[in-house]
Amino acid sequence: MTDHLLEITGMHKSFGGLKVIDDVSFNVRRSSRTALIGPNGAGKTTIFNLLTGVYPIDAGTVIVGGQDITDVPAQDRVTVGMSRSFQNIRLMPHLSTVENVMLGQHARARNLGSLLFPLGMLPRNDWRTAAEEALERAGVGTYPGEVVANLPYGVQKRIEVVRALVSDPKLLLLDEPAAGLNKTETLELQALLEKVSDQGVTILVVEHDMQFVRDLCDHIVVLNFGRKIFEGTPEEVHQDPAVLEAYLGTDDDSAEEAANAS
Amino acid sequence: MSGYMEAQLIILCLSIIYAYGIFLPAASGQLNLGAAGFITLGAYASAWFNASAGAALPMWLSIPIAMIFTGVIAIAISFPILRTRGVYMVLATFAFAEVVSGIVINLEFVGGASGFPVDDHADVTVIVPVTIAVILFSFYFMSTRLGLALRSIHDDESVATLFGVNVRTAKVVAFTVGAMLMSLGGSLYGHHYNYIEAQTFNVLLSIYILLYVLMGGTQTAWGPLIGAAFFAIVPETLREIAESAGLKWLAEGRFILFGVFIVLLMVFRPEGVMTRTLQNRLGGGLFRRKKVLTDDTGGGS
Amino acid sequence: MLVIQQLVNGLMLGGVYVMVAVAFTLIIGMLNFLNFTIPALFMFAAVLMHATMMGQLPFGNDFILSIFGMEYRWVAGIIVSLVVIALVSLVIERFTYRYMKAKYGDATEHALPLVSSLGFLIIFEHFVVSTWGSDPLTAVSPFGQGTFSIDTIIFSVPQIVSLLLSLIVVIMLSVMLKATKLGRALRAIAERPDTATLMGVEVGRIVPVVYVITGLLCAVSGILFTINYATVDAYVGDTVATVAIAGMVLGGLGNVWGAIIGGLFIGMLEVMSIYIVGAEFAKVPIWGLLLLLLAFKPTGLFGHTLIGKGKF
Repeated sequence: MTDHLLEITGMHKSFGGLKVIDDVSFNVRRSSRTALIGPNGAGKTTIFNLLTGVYPIDAGTVIVGGQDITDVPAQDRVTVGMSRSFQNIRLMPHLSTVENVMLGQHARARNLGSLLFPLGMLPRNDWRTAAEEALERAGVGTYPGEVVANLPYGVQKRIEVVRALVSDPKLLLLDEPAAGLNKTETLELQALLEKVSDQGVTILVVEHDMQFVRDLCDHIVVLNFGRKIFEGTPEEVHQDPAVLEAYLGTDDDSAEEAANAS
Repeated sequence: MSGYMEAQLIILCLSIIYAYGIFLPAASGQLNLGAAGFITLGAYASAWFNASAGAALPMWLSIPIAMIFTGVIAIAISFPILRTRGVYMVLATFAFAEVVSGIVINLEFVGGASGFPVDDHADVTVIVPVTIAVILFSFYFMSTRLGLALRSIHDDESVATLFGVNVRTAKVVAFTVGAMLMSLGGSLYGHHYNYIEAQTFNVLLSIYILLYVLMGGTQTAWGPLIGAAFFAIVPETLREIAESAGLKWLAEGRFILFGVFIVLLMVFRPEGVMTRTLQNRLGGGLFRRKKVLTDDTGGGS
Repeated sequence: MLVIQQLVNGLMLGGVYVMVAVAFTLIIGMLNFLNFTIPALFMFAAVLMHATMMGQLPFGNDFILSIFGMEYRWVAGIIVSLVVIALVSLVIERFTYRYMKAKYGDATEHALPLVSSLGFLIIFEHFVVSTWGSDPLTAVSPFGQGTFSIDTIIFSVPQIVSLLLSLIVVIMLSVMLKATKLGRALRAIAERPDTATLMGVEVGRIVPVVYVITGLLCAVSGILFTINYATVDAYVGDTVATVAIAGMVLGGLGNVWGAIIGGLFIGMLEVMSIYIVGAEFAKVPIWGLLLLLLAFKPTGLFGHTLIGKGKF
């Protein structure tokens, strides 16, 4: 058994002739906190969508915890030990906070008895208690019964993380968890993720806030135009000429041209 | 109870049972405009299993058998029908009901176009308890993890999939259980009036039942109860008032007002009378613990 | 020969369905919802035509008689039906589309227009029932029973005129969609409503036009139905106009030419089914075909993409 929880080898994906992911390979060490960064349109969210099975990949393999999940359907990937949050909040607007979190438990409750257990009728049951405690730990325990559509943005953002956590993932994929949060909220989020990481959960995070990435992560993968251009530690990333050029050397227009040319 | 009140109560009960049958798939976002088809199947199947010319079983056996019969047909058709979405599903269920009605009207062993007499009688002492059981069952069903999954599918199908919800199976279960409830309602209709005609279960019936559900709201199990209760009672009450006040035009045209009311309700409460938010405001749900809401974590952008 | 006679009759019936199918397909193609006011408008136009011809309007009968005389009341019937349906279409547009669009952005998100249109269906049916009763209304065709025959096949003159008229109307509409500025705006809305707005198409002004056009299609179809089949009632929309839905799906949602061919085909299928398996059973082939189509080829014969996927 390797010490790699996630192994991506030779991943390719095209949409209508445009190569969005072009031969990307990288590994994520068990219990590490890895960041996936790159300019807009580099393919970061696409990689998350490919990992979770939203789209099939054109070529390559994805291995999680030693198991090849390349052909596993989306609904079963969460049982492999992988769950995610979304760039744009995708909580269920008509469900309450605690119900959203209980949806995150679904993968652990797929037998008939759990499916037919009346969660909503009994004020105290194991599932509900677990969900409320998870919310409490994340500092958003004050809103269990509230419909999420009415909650502030920062709170919704954190509920998404909690929902992903309660599925008991080995690998937590977070898509811009700090976007739109203020300084205090970002620090609270960071503390929460450090706590999660200390319990052995591996974190792969897409984020634009470099301060947050430097403070949280121990390993960085940089993408540009669907290709991996760098992999290393947060200290090394600033000295890499390719990374500097990706961020500073090109503007959006020439970036588009380059994408079309490739 | 007067005969008139009893007749109204029966209509109310049947409407509620039908409405829950449409509600279960609607809670996951599937609009079913084929209520009449499942009601026809239930009414005729139970009548035939009960008839001395048929299987001659007692009512308490023929009704469950009719439910199973309808359930099997529902599962069989759910695979092609649930492949369709949105307007295509509305059309497919609508077409299904028309096919059922076209077939039943030509089956001579259940009377064909001239209707079919039903032997056993179900009076109010049967129908009311069954209706209460259906309501309790529906509340239970929606409170389970399966109900939670259905509501999640309504909001965001692809996210539900990513959290491990088997969307296809959940939809088939909701569709089939709903069809069985409508079958139950149809059998009770037959056993109460002791006579059924396929022409009674027409497009308008399907439309009205779908409207009860969408008017009541698909977010909580209260929706169909409120929708059916309100819309089965209001037109009758209007007729009572109009007749006692001598307003003949109102008594005859009360359904015009009903239609106007539907259009206006869509303007003012597009998600139905009973929404999840309103349920919270009315007391935080049936058994939900109340917690003081304090906005101490601050806003964010 | 009898089979050919049935095919001819089917083609004539198909002429009624064509315009209704085109009305359904225009609304679905452009505004993305199944508009149940279409059967209602078809029925209402047919009943108004009947009532004007027979002097049974709630008011104004003497006035119409004094202007048109007994003989030409059918002209008044056409005018009354068209004007009333056009006005009513504008009211319906307000409540099924414009309001929802203004308030919720995407009007088709919540099945709202579908529900409102069902509300209007109920309003019209019960208005007709409470004004004219629920029994079938029988009128005498102003054009008599003119027929001619080729070999042994009998053609009814009014029916042939109706079929030609409905094809001409629909083909003119189709040309209009291709060639005129209005047509381009309509197709732009059908493709991408948001982009159309950005490109300067005034969606708020165009959508009422779509409603009036579809309303008038239903009205012409309803008028021709009254003239040809002489018997109408409040539920003729449910029983006749909904069959056109099958024609629309057959042709492919949103496709005008598909709706024409689909409508004609469904008319022939219906008449042939009645001829072969009997009137009571005729529903089964039509709706069975629709069910199979939706399950296995929802794009129909000519539709290229799924329209309204995931919407109502």
